[in-house]
Amino acid sequence: MSNENVDILKRALQREKAARKQAENILEEKSLELYQITKELQKTNEKLMYLVGKKESELQGVFDNLVDAYVLMDISGNVLEMNHSANQLFGYDIIDDKLNVINLIYKEDYQYAMNSFQKLVTKGFFSDYQARVYTKNNGVRTVHINASIIKDKNKKPIGAQGIVRDITEELLQKQIFEEQKKQLSVIVDNSSLGIALTQFGKIIQTNKAFQNLLGYTAEELIKQEVKDISLKDEYAASADSMKRMNHGEIDSFTVNKRYLKKDGNTLWAKTNVAAVRNHNGDIKYQVALIEDITEQLEFEKQRNRLVKNLEKSNQELNDYAHIVSHDLKSPLRSMNALISWLKEDYQEELDENAQKSFDMLLKKVDKMDHLIDGILKYSSIDKTDQPNKNIDLDEVVSDIIDVIHIPDHITIKLTTTLPVVQGDKFRLQQLFQNLISNAVKYNDKEKGIIKVSCKDIKTYWEFSVSDNGQGIPSKYHDKVFQIFQTLDDKKESTGVGLSIVKKIIDLYEGKIWIESEEGIGTTFHFTLKK
Amino acid sequence: MGLNILLIDDDEIERLKFARVLQKNNYPHNSIEAKNGEEALQLLAKKEQLPDLIFLDLNMPKMNGLEFLKELKSDATLHYIPVIILSTSNNHRDLKEAYRIGASGYIVKPLKYQDYAHKIKCLIEYWTINELV
Repeated sequence: MSNENVDILKRALQREKAARKQAENILEEKSLELYQITKELQKTNEKLMYLVGKKESELQGVFDNLVDAYVLMDISGNVLEMNHSANQLFGYDIIDDKLNVINLIYKEDYQYAMNSFQKLVTKGFFSDYQARVYTKNNGVRTVHINASIIKDKNKKPIGAQGIVRDITEELLQKQIFEEQKKQLSVIVDNSSLGIALTQFGKIIQTNKAFQNLLGYTAEELIKQEVKDISLKDEYAASADSMKRMNHGEIDSFTVNKRYLKKDGNTLWAKTNVAAVRNHNGDIKYQVALIEDITEQLEFEKQRNRLVKNLEKSNQELNDYAHIVSHDLKSPLRSMNALISWLKEDYQEELDENAQKSFDMLLKKVDKMDHLIDGILKYSSIDKTDQPNKNIDLDEVVSDIIDVIHIPDHITIKLTTTLPVVQGDKFRLQQLFQNLISNAVKYNDKEKGIIKVSCKDIKTYWEFSVSDNGQGIPSKYHDKVFQIFQTLDDKKESTGVGLSIVKKIIDLYEGKIWIESEEGIGTTFHFTLKK
Repeated sequence: MGLNILLIDDDEIERLKFARVLQKNNYPHNSIEAKNGEEALQLLAKKEQLPDLIFLDLNMPKMNGLEFLKELKSDATLHYIPVIILSTSNNHRDLKEAYRIGASGYIVKPLKYQDYAHKIKCLIEYWTINELV
């Protein structure tokens, strides 16, 4: 081998050595670099893991704490996940049961649900879906759902999630509320009372009656203030009550006031104003109810006029009765005097026949006088304006028995005690006196018995005065109470007594009727209101 | 001693009745008659011989009894004369009004002449024993 060859080999080996050294250095350098990159990746990865975990737990929190039901399902409707609210709402737990949402759809809402699901798939979401669903324990519920689709990285739909809210109660409440609102507005709209809702003197709502009463439309009224439709001084007059209401002293007040109608006329109305307060007691609204009293006032005026007229004609009648009785009685007195003088002065010249005729004349004059007295009594029986007092009828009747002439063959018995009643003594005395003296007068029996008694029948007293006299034929039972009706021609019968009795009983809102058998006796029954 | 009595009544027969009672009882009294309040006031205005007593009807034409009584009671001299009302009615309003104005009595004329005669007799006898102005 030549030196030359050795040198060449030596040089070649040296070059190779140097190259390897360089390669080793590069490798070492790269190795370090790689190590550092790996470290960094590891760090980033850890950070990502942390972030993912954090997000996941955040989501879990949202998922768990969501008040509304949350449902996650695959594209075929199989439920993958439900939160607590969803479990509660549907009554299912997917840990135990497999659940497909299609089975939950209420039969009648199926088509609607399918359309919505189609929309979900094509558009990626739907909102405000409202339909009925079956639940395990709560029957059919109405729910509101917002849903969106979940896609994989190739934009392929792989599932859907939905937020479900049970709105059954809400709908029911809303329905009840609407119903009540409708009922209320039916009442308000059909009320004959005008109703207005006001706030700080401004009209904010009126009903038909209110509009009709004032002749405005609803729109026209809303622009008005209460004082625009009131008379100036009257508005001021109710301002005081309004102030007291604002201060919480009163909750409502009533006032009769006039309203200005659109046509310029006024309307008298009874107005009731009530406060609607908030929970602090401050006034939120005032509700005014107005009632047209124009007619009522007119009636009242008319009534007052009639009462006045009546009073006047009563007075006139009273005066008239007195004047008539005076004018009728005067000639009677003259006749009586003249006849008496004739009898006296010509006693010698007059034969028995003439004397008898004169006596009969005197009797007729006497009867005429009784009649006039009767008219006077009859017309004045309702004239006494004495206030009612407690009258002991026992006392009244015993007084009567003392006062009127009772022949020896007649006895009067009180078979029960008589009550104390409210009334006018004069009238009650007249009532009993006329009945008792009739019973005495017309008694034709050897031993006359007259009985007076009383029964308590709740709101009335029922009295009876019975005798064993001649009786009254039934065809006269009504007639005897008519004025000037007499059944015989005894000189003292004027036909006024029983008509006075009837009139007094009418005044005490009672009734009178007769029970009688001819030849056996008569009982007068009558009632007086307590 | 005889009394001077003024009777004011528009009814002739009433006046006759009164005269007859005086006459039948042989009373020594003197009676003057007037047909109504105006006539009576004219009589009294002369003030010659004033009556001791006046018997007065209420219901009369022209000036009625109560109007006459008012006039009389407002006169300084005449208001001493006692006035007794002779009326047909016992109308409570008239009765009250008569006493309010100053009547000294109120007699309701009865229907029967005998009763009337009796009442007038009592009345006159009562006033006969009275001291008069």
